[in-house]
Parts: sequence; structure tokens; C-alpha cells
Amino acid sequence: MGYLKDERPQTMMVEGDWQVGAYRYKAPRLLEEYTQALKRKKIIGSLCLGCGKVIVPPRNICGRCHQRMTGRQEVSPIGTITSFVISPPVVKGKYKLFGLDPVDTGALKEGEVMVPVFVRLDGSDSNIACLLFNADPQKVFIGMRVKAVWASELKGAMSDLDGVEPLENR
Amino acid sequence: MTKKVAIIGYAQSNHQAEVQKTREDLVFDVAREALKNAGILREDLGTVITSSTDFLDGRTISNVFLSMAVGAYLKDESKVEEDGTNALYYAMMKLMAGAYEIALVEAHTIGWTFNPHQVWLYTLDPLVDRQIGVLDDIAAAALQARAYMDKYGVSEKDLAQVAVKSLSDAAKNPCAHRKMPKVNVGQVLSSRKYYDPLTELMISPVSDGCAIVILASEEKAKQVCEQPVWIEGIGTCQDDYLRDRNLLSLNSLKKAAKAAYRMAKVKNPLKEINVAEVSARFAHEELMIYEALGLCRDGEGKDLLAKGVTKKSGKLPVNPSGGALAADPICATGLIRVIEAAKQIRGEANGYQVPKVKRALAHGQFGICAQKNTVIILGGGK
Amino acid sequence: MLRNTAIIGCGQTKHTSKRRDVSVAELVAEATYAALEDAGITMKDVGCVVSGNMQGFGGVAQPDLWIGDWMGCPGKPAIRIATGGTTGGSVAHGALYAVASGMFDLAIGVAWEKHSDSKEAGATTGLMHVGMANLFHALPYGLSLKNLIATTAVGAAAGVAVYQARFYMHRSGATIEHLDMVAAKDRRNAAKNIYAHLQWPNCQPEDIAKTEMIAYPFRYGHVCPASDGASCIVVASEKLAKKLCKQPAWLLGLASYSDEENQLQSENYGGVGVLDPCEQMGARISAKKAYSMAGITDPQKEIDLAEIYQPFPSQEMFFAERLGLFDDGTAWRYLEKGETDINGSLPTDLSGGVNATNAIGSSALQRVLECALQIQGKAGEHQASRKVRKAIAHGWGGVTNYITVTVLGDTPR
Repeated sequence: MGYLKDERPQTMMVEGDWQVGAYRYKAPRLLEEYTQALKRKKIIGSLCLGCGKVIVPPRNICGRCHQRMTGRQEVSPIGTITSFVISPPVVKGKYKLFGLDPVDTGALKEGEVMVPVFVRLDGSDSNIACLLFNADPQKVFIGMRVKAVWASELKGAMSDLDGVEPLENR
Repeated sequence: MTKKVAIIGYAQSNHQAEVQKTREDLVFDVAREALKNAGILREDLGTVITSSTDFLDGRTISNVFLSMAVGAYLKDESKVEEDGTNALYYAMMKLMAGAYEIALVEAHTIGWTFNPHQVWLYTLDPLVDRQIGVLDDIAAAALQARAYMDKYGVSEKDLAQVAVKSLSDAAKNPCAHRKMPKVNVGQVLSSRKYYDPLTELMISPVSDGCAIVILASEEKAKQVCEQPVWIEGIGTCQDDYLRDRNLLSLNSLKKAAKAAYRMAKVKNPLKEINVAEVSARFAHEELMIYEALGLCRDGEGKDLLAKGVTKKSGKLPVNPSGGALAADPICATGLIRVIEAAKQIRGEANGYQVPKVKRALAHGQFGICAQKNTVIILGGGK
Repeated sequence: MLRNTAIIGCGQTKHTSKRRDVSVAELVAEATYAALEDAGITMKDVGCVVSGNMQGFGGVAQPDLWIGDWMGCPGKPAIRIATGGTTGGSVAHGALYAVASGMFDLAIGVAWEKHSDSKEAGATTGLMHVGMANLFHALPYGLSLKNLIATTAVGAAAGVAVYQARFYMHRSGATIEHLDMVAAKDRRNAAKNIYAHLQWPNCQPEDIAKTEMIAYPFRYGHVCPASDGASCIVVASEKLAKKLCKQPAWLLGLASYSDEENQLQSENYGGVGVLDPCEQMGARISAKKAYSMAGITDPQKEIDLAEIYQPFPSQEMFFAERLGLFDDGTAWRYLEKGETDINGSLPTDLSGGVNATNAIGSSALQRVLECALQIQGKAGEHQASRKVRKAIAHGWGGVTNYITVTVLGDTPR
């Protein structure tokens, strides 16, 4: 083992990379159904005809019944917060995503506090991850009732369901 | 002391160039078929072992969302990377240990997602070979082919003959990807040249496919299956890294075959094995595989082929399904060989059935120039 | 059932944030040969090599093909097992099954990670990659950039664990102070473990509370590091174990059940969290199966030590509950009473756990390794005060849907 334990502060460094961006995938039609329904302000989930589970956004396969979730079930735009995270105020230059700074790109404002939440819409067995608007971050709690916030222009895209906001104004 | 393990069911997809399904859909359809074939419910499964690799799938923890599709929800599960035959080995160990009674083994690759040849590049030593940037899997195989041809007087025509055999046999196999019933030596030799002497038709195609095999321990197999296919022997071995190997013979395959033969008590494979399904990604590999499996002496692979011993109607047909040259969904390839061998034993290989198969051999490999090899001996049949 | 199998040797490397003095191959060789030395055998005696790491970080596909020479693979059966965070646990299971099945009498399990090889922060961003690949599906369907950034960047440092912690705190009444206590305990313990990464002698909860908040309730002081390191265990059959080792760590039970309904990321952007993510049915069922194999009917009494896989302190608490070591929702009470300290009734993560040392591929293997060391009495300064007769090693991985559980003991079944 001697040669492996030699005193050597640093070994040579060589560069390399992995082209992750070059991968391509097939996507299911489910998201298309979902987004087309969002355009009409309807939130559709997949329903398992075996166990009756409703999953929003729709999922293809029910693991327990081992069959495709072929049913469709509309769920309510009102739901309950099951978990949430309060981000610290956004600081320019702190995080980079794909080499871009979110503040530079205009996606986020400096000093903004974001509250991503998991929401269980009434009628659904699963949660959706989205943002909570128009709420005091300090007053958010698990069990809070919220309702969907729709984008001003409905295009049949995921962004049509902008997020959620508290059901009653506090 | 070791318990016996049998194959009680299997299924594979129709291997093709660009499957019009998501990964989960592909695996789900094959899983449902396999469970039906075995005549069991998902609830009967004890453990599930999947096989895929992160680099091929483009996602770290490549099986992370696959569990529900493959039937592993609330089941014991694990993932063995590389060839599906290694996953089968692990599943077999779990059953032999007595921990579970039924195991589902799954392997898939969607080659269309990211060219597997690129991924082989990433398996090279990043410190030297990737820096120099000259080698890739086809170049290395070509070097091996040339050295082999030089030493034993094997010609390019011999390599082309292997391709002709595989691709024309594949025409009878409904699941194969590349089927060419009327292909001839001239066409193979004049197909696009990659690295001398390897031309396009001598190299396995990039396929999308999935294969699933269901195993059961001895008591369970006798209980639920009318015609279990017994795993009589299994062996696996890894060779040194590419630069440090003697590429002229597949040493790890020799060792793996020896271990499998010993376990199955096979003394003379040419006599005792009735059909062999081997994974040859390149035409010359098939000849080297004959030698490493002990079917003939080193360098005599071409003679075995020329004498017709390994053709479909020969004494020991090799790859009546077309082999890897007809369909190569990387991780699934070895497992597909297991399925094809099991089909031969059960008499289910419609259109390309070899008569009176009692014992079959299946082989899976992984790594540039077949660095890792697994050999499985199957038995059964009427 | 299983034929008797034991761990007879353990080897690990010093874990730091950048092992600049070795290449990843040498790192692995360090751990492998240390384990062989510990077991008193040579590479020639080894029948089968099971290895694994999370290859995305190192940028080498199937590294065992290249590094195999450094782990003794050439000429031997070599299997690669990789399951994300549980890789180490799955590798341990692979090596244990290799011997328990009767196929081999001596096997080694090697797992490693060299995070410094990649330009990423490493351990904590692993889940972000899984999420990313998924969210890319949603982009063509018009997922807003803001939503993408919010749900990944904010959670990225801690991934889904931060939501999971919130679920647990709501259910059980644990508070952020308990997270501080766990993190402080882990770093304090790590100071007694010569191989650990984040060593902070006498770390107190107040020290942790002073660190910056990432996203409530996680502070920087709570989050695990990204380490470079490797570990290896040597597994032997009963006959060999009794011959070679004074006190083998016997395998009593093992299982690795998965539960997809509690995960917080899903295929193709589908709905998530059907089950509370800290519910962890996979852990409950795996523990039940492992205990039944081990003949353990009352884990709260019979388990003497636990090594929980806890890159985040909330997980040390609720996984202990799911594994049956405490009643649901009560783990934090025992923490307050000091029962999980080195001299408590259920010493937990005396090595510092994943919270102090996280070379992802090897972390779950280290949990098994540490349990083995404790049973053998070889844990040095961080040896538990009480005699360790039975210990449980746990790992989680994937998007919190994979689990490995291994129960070891000081006498064969």
C-alpha cells in the first residue's frame, strides 16, 4: 500500500465534460390534455379505475393496480396547502441556473420572497407544486385554504395555472 | 445446498429504431405481458431488479420513476447496471438465499435518447484515453478485429458471413430490429465503412427495447409453472481495462463459461448444448465467442462457421433469433438472449425453432470489446 | 432461510471536500485495500466484487470498467449496483446476498464518490438533476420560467427534503430547535470519527442556530457536505468468518422496499405526494421484513444502535420512528433527553452520519460499515458506551422513494 500513501499534495488535473443537453425524450400526451383543459380553466386529473385514486397533474400509471390511469376526473380549483417553503429574499448573483441569474433575466425581483407550496386540490389525491401569491409569508400555515390563480391570458400552457392565493383575504 | 431457480415467464418488446412510447410506457407494456406469460399477479412478486444505466438514460438514478411501471411499488427492489444478465444473476442470488420466492428482472435501453456509441466513449479512462481522444468503441473493436484476423488468417468475408447469418435469420424473428432475409456477403462488405474492417452491417444497430424475465425458486416454480426453464449454471467475469487486456481472446468469457459449465456439469459444450444465444455486438466477436465458449480451439471460429455447425440447421445453432447484430438495446441485449434461449427450450420460437432443445446457452456482455461477460446454461424441455 | 453471513472487515478513506492528492481510482483502492487488511485476507481470496457510485457526478460511465483494476475485479465476477442515494446500501446488500446465496464464500462491496471531480456542489444537487430532467418535459408545455426557478432553485440546496421536514414538523410537533440539536450532535460525533468530513468538536445547537437560513426550516448548518471518499466491506460465509475474525458482524436481516406514492417529484411532471413524504411506507415495510428475518419482535428494546441516513437532520428523527425505534411523532422527545447520544439508550449516528460526511455513492455503505464497527468494538473514540448487540443501518435514495435496511448482530441467527 506504500505507494498509494505517498506524500503528494496534489495530483494532475485533466478536464472533461458530459453533454447532458444532448439527450432527447418522448413525452406522453397527458400533459397536452392537461394544458388544453387549463385553457378552459378546468383542472383535470387522471383517475385509476382500479383503486379510484385521482392524480393531478395527470399521471400515466397506477403503481398499486399496475394499470394505466385511463379515467379523467375534474378537480376543484380550491385546495389546501400541505407543505411550503419560504425562500429568503432573492439576492442578485447568489444563485445561477443554467449560467443565468434569475434577477438578470427578469424572472424574479431582487428582495422578493417566494413561497413555493404543495397544494392538494379538493378531489385530488396528489399535490401540485406551485407558487403562493398575495399572502404574508409569516402567516402561511399547513392546512391553509387556497384557490387557483389563473394567468391573464390563457394559452393552453402550464403557466395558465399561475399559482394559488389564499381563499379568504386575511 | 444452493437452491434451484427457474424462469417461469418472460416478454420482450418489438425492438426498433425509435419507439413511439415513453420509457415508462415501454417498460409497463412489457411488464404486463411478462406477468401474463408467467401466469402470476403483480402481488405475487417478491423482488424486482431493473437494469439500465444513467448515462444511457440521461438521468441520474435512471430507474427512479420506473418503479411503478415495472411493478415494483411497495416491493423489494434494486438496480444492477450494465447488462441485464447481471441483474438476472443478482435476482438469482436473492432467490437462492431464500429471501424471496419470485423475482422480476427487467432491462431496457432507449438508444434513440442518446447514442450509445457516445456513452461507450464515456466509459473510457478519463485521464488518458479520453484526453487523447482517438479511441471509441467501434475503433477499439476494429483494432481487435484486425489483430484477430491477422493472427488467425480470418478474412473480411468470414466476418460478413456472420452478419449474413444473423441478419437473414432475424427475418423470422418478429421482435428483431434489423431484418434482411436476402442479404449477401457483398452487401455487407459494401455497406458504410466505419473503421476498417468494420462496416455498418457488421455492427449492431442502435435499438430501443425492453426485456423482462420472471424467476422463481424451485418450489414456487413447480407450483405455478407448467414448463419452468431451469437455470442450471451461471458464471460472470470481468476482464482488465481496455488498454491492459490481451484483445486477441475474450478471457473473461472463458472464465465465465468455465464457471457456468462447472455449475451445470457440462463437459463438452459442443455435444451437450443444443442451441446458443450469444451477444456479439460486432461480427468478429461471434467468432471469438465460439472459441471462448470452448466450442473450438482459438482461431478456428471461422471453420466452425464455414462448416455450417453454427447455422440454424447445424449441430449447434448460434443466434437463430438474429442475435445482437439484429437488435441491440444495450442493457437488454443479454436478457433478450436469455429469453430467446428459454423460448427454444419451451418450443415457442415460432418460425425459427431449433428441434429437440434440452439445453441452451445464453450470453450477455458489457464494456468495450466485451470486457464483462455472463454465461447462463438453461435446461428443461420435453 | 439465509445461510449465515458476516462482515469481517471494513475500510474507508478520510473524507474531505477535495481529495486533491488522489485520482478517484486511487481513492477507491485506498478503501479497498484497507478493508482487505482489516479482514486479514488478500485480493486473491475474494470471490466476487460488488461496486457502485452515483456516476453522474464523476462524469465517467460505468466507472467499474476502468477502476475495476483498482478494486480487484479482473478475472472475477464483478457486479455494479447503483441506486442513487441508497447505492452504498444496495452495494452492501449485493455483497451480503452474494455470500448468503451460497454462490461465493468471500465477497467485497466497494462504494465511492468523488464530488470534487465535478464542477457541481454535488450531493445536494443530485435531486435537482432528477427534477430538472423531469421539468424539461414540462417546458414545451409552457411551464413558466419563474415557476421552474422557484421550485428548483429554492429547493435545490435541500431538494425535496425541506418540504418533507415541514410535513414532519407539522405532524409531530418537532421544531427548528430540534433540527439544530441533531445537527450539532452529528458534528460533535463526527469530531470523534477520524474518517468524517465535518468535524466540529463540542458543537452546540446555538452554533448551528447562528448559521444562515437557506429556506425555513433548513439552515446552512443543517445541510450535509459533499465529500470525496470511498468505503469497502468484506463479507464472508459463516465458516470463514469464524476462522478469520474474532467478532464478526453477523447479518440478521435485510430489505429494500420502495414507495413511490410518498415522493415529491414524479415522472413527466405528474402529481406527487399522494402520501405524506415523511410517512415512508418503504422504510416501515423494509424494517418489518428485516426484523422478521432477524427474529426481532420488539425493536425498541432489542436494537442497541442505529445508523440512519440523514443528510438533513429532520430525517434522523422521522426515519428512526418509521424503522420502529420510537413511536410515531416522539423521536424529538428522546433527542431532548439525550437518548440518542453516545451514552444513551439508542445511540444514533455516532459516526456523524451523512449529515457530517456525504460521499453519496458510499454514504449508505458507511452506515452498514459503522454498525459493523460498533458490533466489532472497533469504532475507536466514537464507540457506543453500551454493548452493541444488534444494530440497524438505513439508507434512503432516489427521490425519497428508495430505502435499504440492514440489521446486523453480534451472534449468528
